[in-house]
Amino acid sequence: MSASQTPHQVPVTVLTGYLGAGKTTLLNRILSEQHGRKYAVVVNEFGELGIDNDLVVDTDEEVFEMNNGCICCTVRGDLIRIVGGLMKRRDKFDGIIIETTGLANPAPVAQTFFVDEDVRARTRLDAIVTVVDAKHLPARLADSHEAADQIAFADVIVLNKTDLVTPAELEAVEAKIREINRFAVIHRADHANVPVNDLLNQGAFDLDRVLARVPEFLTDDAHEHNEDVTGLSFSVAEDLDPEKFNAWIGALLAEQGQDLLRTKGILAYKGDDRRFAFQAVHMIADGAYIGPWRPGEKRESRIVFIGRNLNRPRLRRGFEACRA
Amino acid sequence: MSAQVRDADHILETRGTRRDLGAHVVACTFAPDGMAAFGLGDGTLRIATDGDWTSIPAHEGAVLALAADAKGLVTGGDDGKLQRIADATVTTLADFGSRWVEHVAATPTHIAAGYGKRVALLDTAGKLLKTLEHPSSVTGLVFDAKGKRIGASHVNGASLWFVAAKTDNPRKLEWKGSHTGIVISPDGENVVTAMQENALHGWRLSDGQHMRMSGYPAKTKAMSFSRNGKWLATSGAESIVLWPFFGGGPMGKAPTELAGGDAALCTFVACHPQHEAVAAGFSDGMVVLADIGSERILPVAGPGGRGAITAMAWHPDGARLAFGTETGFAGVVDFSKQ
Repeated sequence: MSASQTPHQVPVTVLTGYLGAGKTTLLNRILSEQHGRKYAVVVNEFGELGIDNDLVVDTDEEVFEMNNGCICCTVRGDLIRIVGGLMKRRDKFDGIIIETTGLANPAPVAQTFFVDEDVRARTRLDAIVTVVDAKHLPARLADSHEAADQIAFADVIVLNKTDLVTPAELEAVEAKIREINRFAVIHRADHANVPVNDLLNQGAFDLDRVLARVPEFLTDDAHEHNEDVTGLSFSVAEDLDPEKFNAWIGALLAEQGQDLLRTKGILAYKGDDRRFAFQAVHMIADGAYIGPWRPGEKRESRIVFIGRNLNRPRLRRGFEACRA
Repeated sequence: MSAQVRDADHILETRGTRRDLGAHVVACTFAPDGMAAFGLGDGTLRIATDGDWTSIPAHEGAVLALAADAKGLVTGGDDGKLQRIADATVTTLADFGSRWVEHVAATPTHIAAGYGKRVALLDTAGKLLKTLEHPSSVTGLVFDAKGKRIGASHVNGASLWFVAAKTDNPRKLEWKGSHTGIVISPDGENVVTAMQENALHGWRLSDGQHMRMSGYPAKTKAMSFSRNGKWLATSGAESIVLWPFFGGGPMGKAPTELAGGDAALCTFVACHPQHEAVAAGFSDGMVVLADIGSERILPVAGPGGRGAITAMAWHPDGARLAFGTETGFAGVVDFSKQ
């Protein structure tokens, strides 16, 4: 959360992507580029990494359920241990990159950065970067749940292997990605040739910036989706009552947390001149004040949902009923 | 520095030695020659010799674990190595490649090293006797007081192995969730693990009775049974939390809390090897010695400027205490010094 971010929190980039999308190519590219920064890299398929990096940590993804087995509250136990271990080293590094396996659900990785107090104190989730294969994405979306989830969770999407598709196919696949996640930044690439500066230190979990990117026209009701995973955003011009919002969002996450992959909001609470940032991964939520509204900035409350089975009128009514 | 803080440092100043080592103190112990040893996040081992403390480069990255045995010191590191340090020379006992060696425990006859999901059991010469497999990464490793059994914590419980067993089937102690550390009571009757959810879980081995100890504001990272096994001292609260393992406890009993009152969290505990007393370190760098029976608190090192206490160890004779912090401050106090 922005408010609690302090300079010594190490930024963490999560790199996801379906098998064969070009994740390892991208990782090798990041590490080989002469950027003068040092990264600790957490990988699961050790040996594929072609670059010599003395801070490669080999791990098995160990996902466990918090709070007596709630499947929405899963975290990566191995990451908690690894972050703890890395923080003991004296030779500090500029960031941590976590590569997930191709079939990984990104939720446990993201939730780890909300749930564990030690991880939260020392690191901040900078961005989830998802690599997708322009040619094979339609087939992946048709045959796997994970491919859509990885796009839904992304802050940054690398649309890779664009050299293998026609311009028309590329437009179609990008439109498909937009149907699932309208809020991520998309970089077209072949051979994962995206500048490192477009991937790392994005501050994408700075809700501030995330919501600044949500185009106004996307908040209209006109567009309907056929895809399984969709994104919706709503805004309310009047101030909100924090108690009403907490009651509503709490009940919503409890009831539909499994469907809600990511929820992010910037809220204007009545009687407070600071912006309140809210975010959740499934039913694990977090919120904090992130400083005053800036001069010229429109004081309004905005919220974004990415998930399945989103009932637009119901969510809109619910959000609007939080007015003070 | 206030007068109070100076007073709190009185023991350290009059009976101790201290250094700023410049790297996270991961673990400390006393070598068989009686010297205090500190394993650091910069990969070195520092020995509290007179004058400049000796620095021994033990690992490429960070030291992650440290134990003493009859021959010297054994360390595990994030370079995948298990090292023997004796007479200021480093010998590699085992190399586990890309896996971190996060846990090391030792008895007079055996060394156990946890790396990934495995525990390697070696003799003191470094010969691999067997490899113990676990369902997930090992998060804590301990021998019982007699050195006959090894306990390892992991996701969904702990595994208890017999060191000398020919067949390798552990006794599985099961409880859903992530277990992050383990201790065994001195009589070998109770196994207790720390959990991700700011709680402890225990098993009474004779009848399989479960024990649940909760109410901590933070994760418990250090647990230590008192010499006679009556008390389990734990970190993770704004006081030293001691669970009674007598009179039917800890089930249905409230823990005793010592040295509370400040906002600082207790971050480390080490029970005295002979008396019913516990040394505790806090997040503000304070170190105290608490007598459990009388509840008297003796300040050993004052708070402020040194970072949270991350390691503590008693010499087996109970006269000396070593401690270190996350910022690299290290001290050794001799309570017997006249």
